[in-house]
Amino acid sequence: MIQSIIILIVLSLCIGTGAWLFFIWAVKRGDFDDVEGPKYRMLDDSDDGEQEDQRREQ
Amino acid sequence: MASVDLCIHCNLPIPPSDLVVDEIDGRELHFCCHGCQGVYRIIRSAGLNSFYQRRDWSEQGVPAGVYDATFNETVLEGHVTKRSEILAEISLVIEGIRCSSCVWLLEKLLGRHAGVIDVRINYGTHRALIRFNPQEISPIQIFSAVRRLGYLPHPFTFGAVQDAAVREQRSLLIRFGTAAFLSMQLMGFSFALYGGYFHGIDPGIRQTIQYLAAAVTTPVVFYSGWIFFTGAWRSLKNRTPSMDLLISLGVITAYGYSLYALFFGGEVYFETAAMIITLILLGRLFENSARNRALSSIDKLLRLAPDSANRIVDEEILVVASSSLTPGDVILVRPGERIPVDCRILDGETELDESTITGEPLPVLRRPGDGLAAGTLNLTASLKLTVERVAAESFIARMARMVEEAQNNKAPIQFLADRVATFFVPCVALIAAGTWLFWFFRAVPHTDALLNAVSVLIVACPCALGLATPTAVLVATGNAAARGILFRGGDVLERTAHIDLIAFDKTGTLTLGKPSIEQIIPAPGRSAKDLLLLASQIESGSNHPIALSILARARAEGIKTGAAGAVEAVPGRGLRMTGISGEVLIGSRAFLTNNGVTVPPVASGSLTEVYLSLAGDWYGALLIHDPLREEARQAVTRLQQAGLTTVLLTGDRAEAAQQISDKLAIAETRSNQSPADKAAWIDRQRQAGHKVLMVGDGINDAPALSSADVGCAMAGGTDIALETSDLVLTRPNLERLHEAIYIARKALQFIKQNLFWAFTYNLITIPLAASGKLAPVWAAVAMATSSVLVVGNSLRLGRQIRRTFPVAKGQTTD
Repeated sequence: MIQSIIILIVLSLCIGTGAWLFFIWAVKRGDFDDVEGPKYRMLDDSDDGEQEDQRREQ
Repeated sequence: MASVDLCIHCNLPIPPSDLVVDEIDGRELHFCCHGCQGVYRIIRSAGLNSFYQRRDWSEQGVPAGVYDATFNETVLEGHVTKRSEILAEISLVIEGIRCSSCVWLLEKLLGRHAGVIDVRINYGTHRALIRFNPQEISPIQIFSAVRRLGYLPHPFTFGAVQDAAVREQRSLLIRFGTAAFLSMQLMGFSFALYGGYFHGIDPGIRQTIQYLAAAVTTPVVFYSGWIFFTGAWRSLKNRTPSMDLLISLGVITAYGYSLYALFFGGEVYFETAAMIITLILLGRLFENSARNRALSSIDKLLRLAPDSANRIVDEEILVVASSSLTPGDVILVRPGERIPVDCRILDGETELDESTITGEPLPVLRRPGDGLAAGTLNLTASLKLTVERVAAESFIARMARMVEEAQNNKAPIQFLADRVATFFVPCVALIAAGTWLFWFFRAVPHTDALLNAVSVLIVACPCALGLATPTAVLVATGNAAARGILFRGGDVLERTAHIDLIAFDKTGTLTLGKPSIEQIIPAPGRSAKDLLLLASQIESGSNHPIALSILARARAEGIKTGAAGAVEAVPGRGLRMTGISGEVLIGSRAFLTNNGVTVPPVASGSLTEVYLSLAGDWYGALLIHDPLREEARQAVTRLQQAGLTTVLLTGDRAEAAQQISDKLAIAETRSNQSPADKAAWIDRQRQAGHKVLMVGDGINDAPALSSADVGCAMAGGTDIALETSDLVLTRPNLERLHEAIYIARKALQFIKQNLFWAFTYNLITIPLAASGKLAPVWAAVAMATSSVLVVGNSLRLGRQIRRTFPVAKGQTTD
């Protein structure tokens, strides 16, 4: 009984840690830097979008 | 030291094909590239050999002490703006500001230094504007003063602001993510423990789960919660209690007590400590993103100017950073490119899209000698330009700075919250201590006494109070800026909300300000062409709309314009030029008559009259028509519906003025007013208890604008508008005035709501917590809720503004 509980707890900690590492990786990659902009990007005029892309490339 | 396959400089393995061998001081050294070799030689030649012995590769990031080295006197000197011998300004970005108490602390303590005149810190952007006397204190001393307080200053550049903002947002997000993840695990353990408490649990399992709970809580407290501890330590060191101190006290009490219970038996409350941190971090995260959103409107302004420019040096084109351009440099801008800095055309003629700055949708023709603002778009031809101002001083940079300075100016209502916050903390600490003592002697279990005290500490956290005003001001000014309405500060926002009387100037305000010459009436014996030539000579240096109309007409008739003598402006009246053939006067009838010129009557109807005289003799008159703005009628009606009295103040003749006010249904008209008359009239109205908003073109209305409660310059694109007015409309559209007043009134209403919520909330919850009716976890939830409520309410303000005045995409005219 106690063993199975401990195994389950350790397992949940491992899975959680995996998710946590994935989250850290995403933050470091800058995925959360702008959570507002992307939803408007498809509404942007096309030349604005291109400028945005050019700026990114620079 | 130098192994064969490792680069001596960077310590990375050397790909055999790239090996660079150099002989220095008789030793053969291996490098992985010429770059490393170059750096090695530079370091050696600077006598810094010991770098290679001392360096420690395990060290992460920038080694300590680096800032002292880079921020030397000369570097900082470059960021100082000198206003006069005894007044200089420097802008800093200060890392480590957590709450409004930090701002209060920095302003207070820095202000105590001899030589520091004024410190203003924007909580929203973490920017500090420090005015100081350079003879008494050096920028480097200011820097070390900030560092001694425990904050990290950077000289201000826009890149630095964004970097710092991104870094802070990321670190906050990771701290919160970690805390949230561990708290979720912890909830599972607590669930088991609570279950065990009610239904019985095997002591062994209970013990194990308690240890696990301690294990997951520790990183939450010491990693995620670390920022609260440093904040608390800073506030203790500076003897100015802050909210961080309250939070830290609560967390440490809960965590410390649980550790004690873990080893000596009893219930543990690890989840309390963890949840306080998680929820407060969530609040901070919201607050941060609201701030970043407000920042982005400023950012958009600045992004308009490109970062690089094509500089022409000896017939060659070099791509350089815009920031490296200095006045006098010659640059090339091709069609389709934006102008990088404020320039003057040297060679070439083009159509320029200035809509970003003036809101004018149609391209304008620019010729050699014309000034161009950074951020405008060159449409048709390549231009050679001479740089007029460095990038940091360009029009949009100054405008962006102005918006930020605006957010620095606190609304008077904000000082209330600031004062309350600093006096609040010791009070709460006393109440918490009192609660503990009271329950301790009531002989209830000691744990309850402690938990009640913890609840008081947590629930009292006056974050909501600190957030109430700044968030509403940020949201309002940010939304206003997106509509081309710039409030120069929270104080202006508040004053605008109280306005009950609006005074308009006529030319350029109610009218388009683009007058055209309808009729040329030369004096007997003079020709129309001579009259125009003389008029264009005297007006050639002026930016006044009437001058521009005369110049445009002269150009159209093929008359070469250019000054022919020293011109002196008599504001609001006219111009005087001392030329070869005598004194030339141009201006109103009164101006000429006062100077002893006899002017015969001219049939002008409602047109504006401009008279000219040469050497004391009347030379002729120009009749100028300036059409009303399309939206003027509706704008005036709306303002009247909003309960405002409208008045027309103009230097023009009574007939012309009356006709305009009849068309617009303006209540009161005062004509023939000199700038001084206008200012005096406004002063009288203010003494009579009115709150006056003056709308002018900013050029000759400066005294009136500054004597009004709120001065608003319409001519969005001029420098003078930026200097003289409190409220700037970057798009010359009268409808914005109504929007500005609406936004200001709404913002004030929301600030009052926020303050009311925050106060009531603390008044209710502190007694609840002290009487033991509120468990620490609920206290944490309630606390975070109040912050979220206040921030959410402020964001609601933004939504309401957007709903009432939608901003159409690519909106330029309406």
